[in-house]
Amino acid sequence: MNLKTLAILGTTALTAMPAAAQVSKSDVLTTYADIAHAGYEDSLITAKALQAAVDALIADPSAEALQAAKQAWLEARVPYQQTEVYRFGNAIVDDWEGKVNAWPLDEGLIDYVDASYGGATEENEYAALNVIANPTFTLSGEEIDATDITPELLETALHEADEVESNVATGYHAVEFLLWGQDLNGTEYGAGARPWTDYASGDACTGGNCDRRGAYLKAATDLLVSDLEWITGQWAEGGEARASVMADDNAGISAMLTGMGSLSYGEQAGERMKLGVMLNDPEEEHDCFSDNTYNSHFYDALGVRNVYLGAYTRVDGTVVSGTSLSSLVAETDAGIDTELKAKLDATMMEMSEMKTAAEAGFSYDMMLERGNEKGEALIMGAVDALVDQTASIERAVAALGVDQIDFEGSDSLDNPEAVFQ
Amino acid sequence: MRKTPTPLAPLIAAGATALMMATGPALGAGLDDVVTGHILPGHAAFAERTAALADTAAAECTGPATQEAYHAAFDAWMGISHIQFGPIEDLNLSLSIAYWPDPKNRTGKALARLVADEDPIAQDRTAYSEVSIAAQGLFALERLLYDPAFSSGPYVCALTATVAGALADTAGELADAWPDYAELLTNPGPDNPVYPTEADAARKVYTALYTGLEFDRDTRLGRPLGTYDRPRPNRAEARLSERSQRNVELSLAALNQLADLLATDPAPRTSAAFAAARRRVSELDDPVFAGVADPMSRFRIEALQQEVRDIQTEMATEIGTALGVTAGFNAMDGD
Repeated sequence: MNLKTLAILGTTALTAMPAAAQVSKSDVLTTYADIAHAGYEDSLITAKALQAAVDALIADPSAEALQAAKQAWLEARVPYQQTEVYRFGNAIVDDWEGKVNAWPLDEGLIDYVDASYGGATEENEYAALNVIANPTFTLSGEEIDATDITPELLETALHEADEVESNVATGYHAVEFLLWGQDLNGTEYGAGARPWTDYASGDACTGGNCDRRGAYLKAATDLLVSDLEWITGQWAEGGEARASVMADDNAGISAMLTGMGSLSYGEQAGERMKLGVMLNDPEEEHDCFSDNTYNSHFYDALGVRNVYLGAYTRVDGTVVSGTSLSSLVAETDAGIDTELKAKLDATMMEMSEMKTAAEAGFSYDMMLERGNEKGEALIMGAVDALVDQTASIERAVAALGVDQIDFEGSDSLDNPEAVFQ
Repeated sequence: MRKTPTPLAPLIAAGATALMMATGPALGAGLDDVVTGHILPGHAAFAERTAALADTAAAECTGPATQEAYHAAFDAWMGISHIQFGPIEDLNLSLSIAYWPDPKNRTGKALARLVADEDPIAQDRTAYSEVSIAAQGLFALERLLYDPAFSSGPYVCALTATVAGALADTAGELADAWPDYAELLTNPGPDNPVYPTEADAARKVYTALYTGLEFDRDTRLGRPLGTYDRPRPNRAEARLSERSQRNVELSLAALNQLADLLATDPAPRTSAAFAAARRRVSELDDPVFAGVADPMSRFRIEALQQEVRDIQTEMATEIGTALGVTAGFNAMDGD
């Protein structure tokens, strides 16, 4: 996804900091980088577990093996979604993340789809290319030999093929599609129901080309692991992302707040949540194949809170914490700190209500159904809380006197002409 | 039409604003003129023409008179489509008027679903606002009127009338809401919950102007231009009804008017930049920007895009600076 924040409009008065500041910005940034490193490392650890489950599925396909791989995917999303707050404000993450978490996708690029999906669109000539069924094909005038499906093929030839962003060939959502398949239940209960036999060998194979499907799944998962290895290194001691954040105190603090504000507002409240409600379209679900959308939203919001409070609970239960942005804001304006903490908590409560309902059987796509007022109330409660916390994040930016960066907008929330791409 | 330049900057001080609020008259001739000369008449025209479109569609379905009324309504929308703050934002109406760009073909899919199900919502103008925003507004009408996939028939006929009717209701709601909002915009002050200072109000209008130009440049022109090696003529706005060029022409005309009204000092370089871009777009003779795919004609559209950028540059210096508003070009450029 092509996202860029916009530094604009007006200058923020530089608030003079107390001469003998107790809270060191550099310490705050160290905590921020430590949490990033831990979050990406957890993402890597859980992606390796997914990789093992995928290898097992391909080696010995069964319903149980497919289920185990799905479970591993769901677990891998928990730490990853908490890192999304690092995407905005850190160019190195933003430039990279399209490979691992691009969405929405035209899944017909990858594999078979239902007739209701349609074919090529005006926007995307290759929306129904079906690489798994076609070992060779022409792409943007070039002959592609996809006889061997490799990470390199996905990464170089297929991902964002023909410069179309919805040609998503790699990352979590490509893997999700290969594990779950299309969700054909509309706004009824139920996720994608790909049969395990899509990975079976010989006559048991369903959906055709089971070997190639397995090869695709393997390549996409391996690539996900290597991409996560790379980004984890960027946040390690001596890594470039860490160095870039630490290079300038004010710019680093600004990046933290930009990430919090942009994810809260334009990306999550707008593009991922409110737009889905306005379109009544279950394909607008962020995790539309697995129906795990409520968790994606929940852990995104938790990641924002982690950054502010300077604490992250790792997948093994270890707590990574240190000097927090909260303490820095409190030192300047205790009122704003209290307000922002309360709003972040309020968002988590709204998210929890949505998550609880979804886990009890009122799934996210049911909430999106036209005229479903209860579902709309659950989603919009969380949207409103996110918008509300964004206003407090803006106040924190002003209080700290760091450079004002406009947060990512969304055409479902505000001016469609002001979606800064 | 030029108005008397009024220096704005000295009045921006909060104290002065408070004083003037207390004594009644609004500050800033620029904002008053923007409201009375641009925003209010623009919204009234849009409401009027969408009402006429609704009447025609109810009588005639998808025939030539409805197409003509659709164009008149779309023309009126281009006069105000850049006014994306105020009621349209508060009432959340923007996307239900114009849902574009639509890279996933949501409009086509949503309408096809309604038609396939013969969904009874097509008979209910009031409840229609519940349906997917992709099946509402001008771009849904364009499909119903110009896409052969939606062949005429009693259901499509009823659906067309309902989409047009709901659009007219939305436009009416918007026009009705503006006068109250205009009071806020033209009376900044410490008690004003939205615009505590004159600068806040001026910044809001200036941002609308600036981002309107940005949308013309990056989206209306940029999407079909694509890259030199991979032009994207299929992505031109409203190409089914052949309005791509016309929309840019009308948008620039409306933005030019807004800039003239907002400017508190003469802005000759901005005016010249507008004139150059408007002249070029009017001379393109390329209704759907098909020329992006032909190197000979492509350069004219690229030049137009550059000229829109020039307007932004001149405007930032001449108008933005006078209003005490600065825009960071570098962060926006490059995509």
